[in-house]
Amino acid sequence: MAVTDPIAELSRAGRLAADYPAVRGLLAGLDEPGLDRAGRLLARVDPDEVLRAHPGLPAVTIAITGHGTLGTLVAPLTAELARHGLLLRPWTGQYDGYVLELADTASGLYEADPDLTVCLLDPTVIFDEVPSPWRVEDVERVLDARLTTLEELAARFGEHARGTLVLNTLPLPSSYPAQLLDLRSRARLGVVWREAAARLLRLAETRLNVVVVDLDPLLAEGIPAVDARLAAYARLQLSPALLARYAREIGHLARLVTGRAAKCLVVDLDQTLWGGVLGDDGVEGIEVGEGYRGETFAAFQRVVAQIGAQGVLLAAVSKNDPEPVAAALADHPGMVLREGDFTRIVANWRPKHDNLTELAKDLGLGVDSLVFVDDSPFECGLVRRELPGVAVVQVDTEPALHTPRLLADGWFTVRELTAEDRARTEKYREDLARKDFLDTFTSLEAYLEQLGVWVRAARAQDADVARLSQLTLRTNQFNLTTRRLQPADVRALLADPAATVVTLRSGDRFGDNGLVGAVLLHREGTALRIENFLLSCRVFGRGVEAAGLSAVLRHARDSGAATVRGLYRPSAKNGKVAEFYTRHGFTRAGESGEGAEYVHDLTAPADPPGHLDLRDELSDSPSLSADISGGDLP
Amino acid sequence: MTTIDEFVSLVQDELGLDVTPEDVGRSLDELAGWDSLHLLTLATLLERTTGRSLVLTDLLEARSLERIYAVAVGA
Repeated sequence: MAVTDPIAELSRAGRLAADYPAVRGLLAGLDEPGLDRAGRLLARVDPDEVLRAHPGLPAVTIAITGHGTLGTLVAPLTAELARHGLLLRPWTGQYDGYVLELADTASGLYEADPDLTVCLLDPTVIFDEVPSPWRVEDVERVLDARLTTLEELAARFGEHARGTLVLNTLPLPSSYPAQLLDLRSRARLGVVWREAAARLLRLAETRLNVVVVDLDPLLAEGIPAVDARLAAYARLQLSPALLARYAREIGHLARLVTGRAAKCLVVDLDQTLWGGVLGDDGVEGIEVGEGYRGETFAAFQRVVAQIGAQGVLLAAVSKNDPEPVAAALADHPGMVLREGDFTRIVANWRPKHDNLTELAKDLGLGVDSLVFVDDSPFECGLVRRELPGVAVVQVDTEPALHTPRLLADGWFTVRELTAEDRARTEKYREDLARKDFLDTFTSLEAYLEQLGVWVRAARAQDADVARLSQLTLRTNQFNLTTRRLQPADVRALLADPAATVVTLRSGDRFGDNGLVGAVLLHREGTALRIENFLLSCRVFGRGVEAAGLSAVLRHARDSGAATVRGLYRPSAKNGKVAEFYTRHGFTRAGESGEGAEYVHDLTAPADPPGHLDLRDELSDSPSLSADISGGDLP
Repeated sequence: MTTIDEFVSLVQDELGLDVTPEDVGRSLDELAGWDSLHLLTLATLLERTTGRSLVLTDLLEARSLERIYAVAVGA
């Protein structure tokens, strides 16, 4: 039962106030129960104590007033503000105290001088006042009276308070219309209820300091409006789940009123904006525009374009070569977004956090203004760690969920758009950046250390044949000889006693990457020849190739080889691995008809990179190659 | 959750309350930092943890952690 999350640890150690600035980073990526718990723990910390320790921390005073039990909103609100690096200073009104608290300008609410005043409205605002039994005319009368009250309170607030008043539309759970037995009355209730909702929403049109949050779209996500037992016994009139979701909306309002609305949407490309891997699949091979997945990626692109059309800058940051990215955006018929839609397109092999930092600087923005969308848990984790200010939206392999994930948070919410926002079509772009793919990423080391990367090098089994063939067919960038092998070719290699096929599997604390690489070996007398070395670009930059090569060199030495020879055959796409062998202790041995030859004398084979755990299963059973051909079919 | 010690850890970790197994018999009013909202939170957490629907009114009438635990495990 012991909870091992870092917020709970800080709480137990009594260090939450002292370490409050670190909380933002710790909350990123938490699931809903995790965020719930964090909110409860954070809400127990005295904001004044936090401010004494960190006077520069931006604090937002939020008054909560309303009809039912209000205190349960404080914890989720604390967590939501902390996600944005903001400290909540809450003021909570009395049970059913909203009319007096908003009407009396000498009340505690006005005295607290809140930045935001949340007046929490629920269906019992109306149904507590209808007679028993009630008819739809009673509801209509009470709605009219209560709306008039709210309009007057909003006017009073506008004249006397500094901040923003936040109201919400009233949900109508079926337990009310279902009490009316005739369909005509039931329909009438729907009419009067929605007319009241429209009247409430109109307040936001007429009063500058009023925001009305429409709860209907939140409820349509499948959140229950009411928990019947908590409503009955604790007068908690909106469900905890709805309050948590509403708190997220208020968190973004807090961002807005403190001038922190995000300004730039940065998207990854492969598997985020389109399906597939451009470097391996080519412009024609990526999925966008057609087919189930292609159409879904195109729909996501339309949403990105929709956001871009409203004053948000769009940028792309992708681990790719710039030329194919330019070609895909220019030539792919299914693409919705084109190069001209982006302020910047950064396609290179540097760590993404470096690219994001530079991008923000170029655009004259803080990194806090960036929202970054990527499908790779590795990249998301790295950006969260290095740049806690960047809002990271992690999508996954299911493109249908990209849009709801991106829109689950109102990162770009503004009060209203200006003419300038709508006309922000002037785009300034720079040449696509290109950095050396094989540069050592020193800034990555600390991240890699804690990532727990593992690499397993083993002899291929029959069950690996399909995937091995696919790797040789699809991998273009890290493919030293670009020799394509059909499944039958792979099977023949497995049966060849002079050949050894090494599979590389990798993973980290985010999960198992599966079979990501292969080394094809051939014994020629005392030399072990690397016929090809392949690695999926999903795992570039983590030392997997160095670990795999280290395992091969050790295997060569242990099995009595005198040298290891390697071949590199240039192709249109594998230029970035031209120096692979010389970077790992090989010397150039000349040119053959097939390409450049390299040789390693095995006097000092390099150790695998220190940050990863190499599980070398090559040398465990040297005679295994003889057994492979007799293995079971998958 | 099968022991009262596990229940106490749940209260510590989920609510952030500094309670020890010695506090379980005390009146809730004597627990530092306790407020009535904690009962609502505990109700939700205990239902999630035990996978059972609890009699909420029994829980809301409980006056000590010991009694809350008894309701939660159906004793």
